[in-house]
Order: sequence, then structure tokens, then C-alpha cells
Amino acid sequence: MNNNLRNLFNNGWIEILFRWVLGATFIYASYYKIMSPMDFAKIIYGYNLFPEFLITLIAVFLPFVELISGLCLILGIYPRSAALIINGLLLSFILVLTINIIRGHEFDCGCFSANKTGPPGMMVARDVVYLIMGLQVLLFNGVRKGCFIRSDKTV
Amino acid sequence: MQWNKVIKEMFFIFGISIISALVVNFFSPAGISLVGKWDGASGEKAAKNKSYVFSGELEIKNIRIAKQIYDSGKAVFVDARSREDFKNGHIKGAESLPLGQFADLIGAFKKKYPVDTFIVAYCSGRTCNDSHRLEQLLFDHGYVNVSILIDGYQGWKGEGYPIEQ
Repeated sequence: MNNNLRNLFNNGWIEILFRWVLGATFIYASYYKIMSPMDFAKIIYGYNLFPEFLITLIAVFLPFVELISGLCLILGIYPRSAALIINGLLLSFILVLTINIIRGHEFDCGCFSANKTGPPGMMVARDVVYLIMGLQVLLFNGVRKGCFIRSDKTV
Repeated sequence: MQWNKVIKEMFFIFGISIISALVVNFFSPAGISLVGKWDGASGEKAAKNKSYVFSGELEIKNIRIAKQIYDSGKAVFVDARSREDFKNGHIKGAESLPLGQFADLIGAFKKKYPVDTFIVAYCSGRTCNDSHRLEQLLFDHGYVNVSILIDGYQGWKGEGYPIEQ
């Protein structure tokens, strides 16, 4: 990695910006799913990838993992671990979307709200952008700004 | 990265998430049953929303039966999808009553169709929920004969039954 890119990657302001953008995005994404778990369950069913007993469990728990991780990112509570969870979620979203695009399966993304879908390729591209942001937050080595509980005190 | 620390923190985050999910799901009227098994064959679930009073008996699970009803001319087919989707293609002769515009359109709809009209509601297919919601709203407005074509427009089109744009 050249020096400029390394500096950019370790810039504290970029870290807090990415952290807030990711946090706000995930809180927003969790809202509709929490308000309407049954619709979300139906969308998960539509992905045609998960065993039936898992569908309701995903519909109930996933939105709260998104919400709490998003809050942790914004408030700066264990930001590294929250970023790791968010990156894990993003990787699985990318995987699930890609599988369905490859097999040409028609589906509703359910990413933010019901009945709003973009082109599937765009959804993957958007998640990749979020993933890059998440990696910056995860691998950031400097002092994190605006944190309540920061476990990684490396300077 | 100190992995043991990260793992502990992740347990903390997951723990809070699981506890809040269980609490909210328990108290929320929109909460669903956690252990209900999904019936993949009919595209419906046993894990019903607590405030959900819909009876599964009103669903038309066999699309051929829906076609017989359609051919008999006794029912009005009502499309719950958006106006845009309706314009792109719908069951021939269907009425458009998009869920999002229900409040604005129900007045005119009621004048045209009395409450004892036999209505078959549909949306895009087995993974959409709009027809079920429309059924509830119509029921609230006094319509008693409302069935749901759960295969929706995609299923109808797939069978080669009459459609129009």
C-alpha cells in the first residue's frame, strides 16, 4: 500500500465518518424489519436459501444484531468488534445476493424496506462499498474519535 | 488484534441483540412465533403474527381453481400491487387497488362493488404479503367474500392464463 493510501486508511476523521455512515445505515435498515418481522420472514423465504426452521429465527434476531451493532458503531462502544460483525453481515449479504443473481432467481432484497428493490447488481456493488468502509473501521490503527468504550487503545 | 477481547465484545453485542430481540418480539403486536415451521409447499407460514387474524382457508392454493372462478365470472380479481406493476401487466379484467393508495381509492371502489362482491385478491406471488394485507383492509371495510390467489400474478402468467397490459 503506498503511503498516501495508508495515511488515508489511518485517518481518524475518515474512520469516524465511515463508522457513522455504516452505523446509521444499519440502524435505518433494521427499522422496517423490526416493525414488520413477518414481512421480513417472507422475504427471507423468497431468497429460497435457508432451511424452514431458520427463517423465523433470522427474521427476529438479524434486525437486532444490525440495530445494536449500528448503535455500537455510532456511539463508539467496542467499535472494532461491531465493525467485525457488520463486515460479517455484509459478506453474507453479498454471498446471498450473488448466489441468487447467478442462479437467476427472482427475489426481493428486503435490504431497507418492502417493495423497494434496485437492480441486483447495484445491491451487491453497494454492499461492497459498505464492506470497504467496514474494513477501514476494522483495521484502523490510530486513536478512534468519539468513543464511549474503546477496547483497542493502540496509539 | 487481541482476539480473546474481540470475541468477548462480540458476545456482549450478540447477547444484547438476542435479549432485546426476544423482549421486543414478545411484547410487540407484530411479533412472530419463533418456532413455527415454514410451509414451503404452500408458501405460507405457521409462525403467524400475533395480531394476524387471517384464516388460511381463504387462500386459493390451487391456481386451476382460481382459473375456474375467473371463468365463471362470479369474482372480481383485485390487484394489490403498485400502479406501475399493474400497468406492466395484470390479470385480464382485474381492478387495481394498490395497498399504498388504499385509503384514497377504497371510496370509489366501494361505490363500484357492493360489500357482498366475491373478491379474489392477488399480488406478485408467494413471497409477497400485499394480497393478505389487502384482504384484511377489505374485511375491515365490510367485504366478507375475499379470497387470495397466493400464486399471484407470476403464477397466473406462468400458467399462460389471460393477462393484459
